[in-house]
Amino acid sequence: MSFDLHRPNTMAEAIGLAARLGPAARYIAGGTDLVVQINRGRATPQHVIDISHLADLRHDIVQTADGFSLGALTRYRNIERHPAFQDALKLLPEAASVVGGVQVRNIASIGGNIINASPAADFVPALLALDAELDIQGAAGRRSESLRDFILGPGKTGLQAGEILAAVRFKPLPAHSATAFLKEGRRKAMEISVVCVAASLTLDASGKTCLAARIAVGAVAPKAYRAAAAEAALAGLPADTASFRLAGQLAAEQAAPISDVRASAEHRHHLVSVLVQRALETCRQRIAGA
Amino acid sequence: MSRRLLELTINGETHQLLAEPHWTLLHVLRNQIGMMGTKENCLEAECGVCTVLLDGRAVNSCLLLAGQAEGHQITTIEGLGTPENLDPLQQAFIECGAVQCGYCIPGMILTAKSFLDENPGHVPSRQEIREAVAGTLCRCTGYGKIVDAISVSAERRLAKQHKEPAA
Repeated sequence: MSFDLHRPNTMAEAIGLAARLGPAARYIAGGTDLVVQINRGRATPQHVIDISHLADLRHDIVQTADGFSLGALTRYRNIERHPAFQDALKLLPEAASVVGGVQVRNIASIGGNIINASPAADFVPALLALDAELDIQGAAGRRSESLRDFILGPGKTGLQAGEILAAVRFKPLPAHSATAFLKEGRRKAMEISVVCVAASLTLDASGKTCLAARIAVGAVAPKAYRAAAAEAALAGLPADTASFRLAGQLAAEQAAPISDVRASAEHRHHLVSVLVQRALETCRQRIAGA
Repeated sequence: MSRRLLELTINGETHQLLAEPHWTLLHVLRNQIGMMGTKENCLEAECGVCTVLLDGRAVNSCLLLAGQAEGHQITTIEGLGTPENLDPLQQAFIECGAVQCGYCIPGMILTAKSFLDENPGHVPSRQEIREAVAGTLCRCTGYGKIVDAISVSAERRLAKQHKEPAA
């Protein structure tokens, strides 16, 4: 393992360096994925460009008229503790708090986790359930792409050569909405998900009928997916156990899990249906309690 | 790849050294500077024995490139207290019998310090403490007394704050 470390000051400098150095260069932010990959010989960059200190790459959480914008360098620990995420957006701290240990969450960036595109990434389903949009900076300027389209498969994204993921945006939830994130692993902490589920549910003013739902499922397909059939079925149904069970079954039909050291495909299938049902029920209780 | 001059601020002191770009902070601390308090084990941020504070926040020094630590305040266990003047967390670990083989303890104490400093006016529950130190493994499995020590330290800190309100 050996490489040159570059520490540019701005995104433009970093993008210029990446263009000059070509495919032998990788960006590094928190490094908690990349350094492990380098140590294992899975990544062999000759140049590593540090983007963790760029003056114009944000690491803050900003509330805008249009929702929230999270700088790509935002650390998980800051999401866990952010006061604006403790109510309707509770799925964000719930997902952030199960990423590694505190030491990783103090330095790992949300942008790095998205770019790494692990099928088992915990924060990605949470952002999918919020219909997150990405702001991406390249040599030609800035573009936007939905997270849903951006992640293509294990380790693969729509990031073009030299581009930097700059921010993640999502819109506020409608009234009578709540969210939840649930993860099942083989132990309670420091664990890669066997299945993780993120849900956002909106009810009518009476709290009895589902108006809309967004359900995202991780670790049971090459990339986290939105359970489109379950979402469509829920609209107009009563907010009760039977509806949530149906949504769970529909979400599980979309899963394509593998069997591995953590769980069998059959068990993962079963967990999707249970966790989706449970996440929706949690949302319903949170709306009722708000 | 060629070595370049690195300037690190460790426990308030400036250290200059020539470093390979791929060296981690852990490697530099132990093998270049000779500070052995920070331990080496899994090298994948699973075990937490390499924990140091970066601007007061606990991080795994095994995955942090030393070059990325330039410009930050690094605190290792050597910077926390002296045998004559222990940090209150160190004192509490001794009093509670929280140290067995000792290998995880530097990382455990720094993880605890980072956690307690996040919320100065708050005595965390045992569950909150357990979650906070989940990234630091004790293979003697002496977690009960470690949680005791962190809890005692948090209580004392709060009592002290009440006695000596901030000026």
